[in-house]
Amino acid sequence: MTTSVAGVWSHRTVLRVLVQRDLAVKYQQSVLGYLWSLIEPLSMGLIYWFIFGVVYNTRGSFDGASYPLFILSGIFVWQWFSSALSESTSALTAQARLITTIKVPREIFPIGRVTGRFAEYLAGLPVLVAAAILFHGHVTWRTAVGLPLAVLMQFVLLIGVSLLLSSLNVMLRDVERFIRLAQRILIYAAPIIYPLQKVQDADIPHWVKVVYQMNPLVGIVQLQHAAWFPTEWPSTKLLLTSAAGCLIILFAGWWTFHRLEPSVLKEL
Amino acid sequence: MSDPIISARGLGVRFVKGRRRNLQVREMLFHGMRRNPNAGDDGFWPLRNVDFDITPGEAVGVIGKNGTGKSTLLKLIAGVLIPDEGTITVRGRVAPLLELSAGFSNDLTGKENLNLVATLHGLSKQQLAAKFDEIVDFAGDQVAKSLDLPVRHYSSGMRVRLGFSIISQLHHPILLVDEVMAVGDAEFRAKCYDTMQRLLAEGRTLVLVSHNEGDLTRFCTRGLFINEGRLTVDGTVHEALAAYKGGYVPA
Repeated sequence: MTTSVAGVWSHRTVLRVLVQRDLAVKYQQSVLGYLWSLIEPLSMGLIYWFIFGVVYNTRGSFDGASYPLFILSGIFVWQWFSSALSESTSALTAQARLITTIKVPREIFPIGRVTGRFAEYLAGLPVLVAAAILFHGHVTWRTAVGLPLAVLMQFVLLIGVSLLLSSLNVMLRDVERFIRLAQRILIYAAPIIYPLQKVQDADIPHWVKVVYQMNPLVGIVQLQHAAWFPTEWPSTKLLLTSAAGCLIILFAGWWTFHRLEPSVLKEL
Repeated sequence: MSDPIISARGLGVRFVKGRRRNLQVREMLFHGMRRNPNAGDDGFWPLRNVDFDITPGEAVGVIGKNGTGKSTLLKLIAGVLIPDEGTITVRGRVAPLLELSAGFSNDLTGKENLNLVATLHGLSKQQLAAKFDEIVDFAGDQVAKSLDLPVRHYSSGMRVRLGFSIISQLHHPILLVDEVMAVGDAEFRAKCYDTMQRLLAEGRTLVLVSHNEGDLTRFCTRGLFINEGRLTVDGTVHEALAAYKGGYVPA
């Protein structure tokens, strides 16, 4: 594993160029260009705010700051996670030409997709900060610790997932379809648009709650919320569970990628 | 003699024969991994039991009929394919021109492709900036004029020109060239010959796949004749050519 980390690190220029190209291709053809990376999460946020904030009136359960900020802090990370998920799936198949003609560490291609979506997430941060000011988010030490920690954990998680999915997708094209379904489920399987407390208070068997919290996204999203809502700070147990989950997925992804690499190169 | 720069020992790659392009989850669920329709199939070996050593500065021509594993061999040397059997050791970086497309993406402009491919081949930003004009110059007027057009609109000759220009500017000690000369026009071929001659004079190692006898005898001193996935003749380029033309004659 250390050799492949060293390999990727020594090719970081390649990584940067790949990410730049990805972003250039994505935005050069649309008029609104970069704004698209904001419009999508914002309109999604608006929809959820309307359904859960207005129609079902969940607003009451927040201290001080209001529900829109809660949704946004969840939606922006979700957007990163979800777009990275779908784009890393095709990271190898879509770039087969480069992969079969030039020798670079193959891990770079899925990692590049994850990094590209991270750049979009970064571009959205000013909007999130503006929302935090507008809706009176609490800026505490938790903001300074929670955000970077959440980003780090999500990077680890996404790299693992992208290595797994990109290599698997070469062998089984069904993966792409499966991911579309998984995305629909996952957005509700983490406390993105509703508070975690609602799940903990819910009248469901205890084991369901345990399984729910095994999802590493739960801890990550909670950290993101906690950056503006101090009461959302995850328990140490939840944090450790999520961190362990991220690492396990990273190793599983890396292992799968290397097991499949020879076959993947033949298939491409 | 110095240490070999490329050495192959018992090299073999297996492709699974008759494998459907993609396994479906459905099949996996119903048959399970054990009853995988591909299991038990011995597969097909485009290349097997190949042993050779290439010393630095050698120019080696690889000869063989279509579909006998020449390109597979080059891919193994370039490291874009991993062997199933044996080992291939390459001491030094490789500048490969493996496909006519040279790894270009159709949607990107010539310039963007140049930047991307050159970086992937290991040129740093400064090196690229220094070499950029030279690369474009070498690729010729046609390419220089179309630098801001998507590569989709390039002719295959233009792609090869640009691809070869990039490869020839790399400082890697090993040069792999797979039948690209066939596409360029006479003017470009002459340029390529000069460049390859110059690179060889600098002491680079060349592995060339070609069907053109003139190209092979011009550059190569040694010839590898590959027949049905096996290295049948490893001798001078003339011996290899003779074997290729006359069918396989055991020595």
